Amino acid sequence: MIEERVRITNRLGLHARAAAQLVRLASGFKSTVRLERVDGSASADAKSILSVLMLAAPRGTELRAMADGVDEREAIAAVSRLFEEGFGEIEH
Amino acid sequence: MSQNQPSITVGEFLELAPTRLQLQVLAGHDGVHTRQITLPRIQKLGLALAGFTHYIHPGRLQIVGQSEVWFLGQLETEKLREAIQNLSLEKIACVLVTKNLEPPTEFISAANCASLPLLQTPLLSSEAIQVVTDFLEEALAPRVILHGVLLDIYGLGVLIEGESGIGKSECALDLITRGHRLISDDVIEVWSAGMEKLVGRAPELLREHLEIRGLGILNIRDLFGVSAISSAKTIDLSIKFERWEDASEVDRLGIDTRTSRILEIDVPQFLIPVSRGRTLATLVETAVRLHLLRTRGQDAAQAFVARHAEMIKDSG
Repeated sequence: MIEERVRITNRLGLHARAAAQLVRLASGFKSTVRLERVDGSASADAKSILSVLMLAAPRGTELRAMADGVDEREAIAAVSRLFEEGFGEIEH
Repeated sequence: MSQNQPSITVGEFLELAPTRLQLQVLAGHDGVHTRQITLPRIQKLGLALAGFTHYIHPGRLQIVGQSEVWFLGQLETEKLREAIQNLSLEKIACVLVTKNLEPPTEFISAANCASLPLLQTPLLSSEAIQVVTDFLEEALAPRVILHGVLLDIYGLGVLIEGESGIGKSECALDLITRGHRLISDDVIEVWSAGMEKLVGRAPELLREHLEIRGLGILNIRDLFGVSAISSAKTIDLSIKFERWEDASEVDRLGIDTRTSRILEIDVPQFLIPVSRGRTLATLVETAVRLHLLRTRGQDAAQAFVARHAEMIKDSG
């Protein structure tokens, strides 16, 4: 299993559309992908939309992204990139 | 999809038009199978007989009623011939005389000369125009043949689309056993009725039939009774089945509404990925219920997403 820290940078936080984007991306990998608040208060299966929505993570929240499986490296890289790019949203 | 330029010959019009019209051919039999009607709106020949021939449209059916016959009847023979000649009868699709009126013999012989079908109906002009226009609007509507299954589910016309072998007909059979009604399996004739309405029905031969691999061609009326089938139906919703592995743009939230464009009309669409263990009939029934709620202004997914956004805002 590998792990990486990510931070939510987009204005609206991990809102519904962003969550759907993350789930779509994570579902493309064989590995299990999980997200956890660094304070341990909540965690989510990144392939389940309801689970990700329950993180209710606003802008600035720090999360641990964890992947476990044959393509864990690719999965973590892709997930981190999505967070870094702020889910492709244009910031105002 | 295959599409063709709609038009019917006068012969087809005579054969297919409602029997109420009780059409007779008075003259111009030679043109019956060659003259084409291409537009659903009729014209009245009135002003053209008086010399104003600019607006005669060749593809339209021309109506001759009481006022036209009276007008022609009071013309002197010379003027009458001139009026008829000005019409360029060789260009007109056909003429329908209403109220069983007798047009002047000059008109009949001119029609025979020009091979212009001259038809007669006992109906009054107003009634004949209504019946002819309704018939032609359907007969000349843009149409297309679609592959899929059309069912009546909870009173809505639901089109199930998807590649061959994905399980459309099996799903239809499931839905029929749950009390829904079959309109057509595999081949659906679709035409647009007005600007926003699509209508679908089964081709004559396929009506009431469903083909299931391993069972063959089934007659649904014999197997499940008359309440299991339905005739032509407005298409309200499209449900597209996609193989699980090909389904890239599946909606996980249910807040983006899709449409499928058929004959320039947008039909709301659900895209449903198919895999083993998914009960397609239940998914289709639920999609239709969801659509019914949405069209009545209730959208659970939108409300959920809004509540979620509030929750994030409060915690931030």
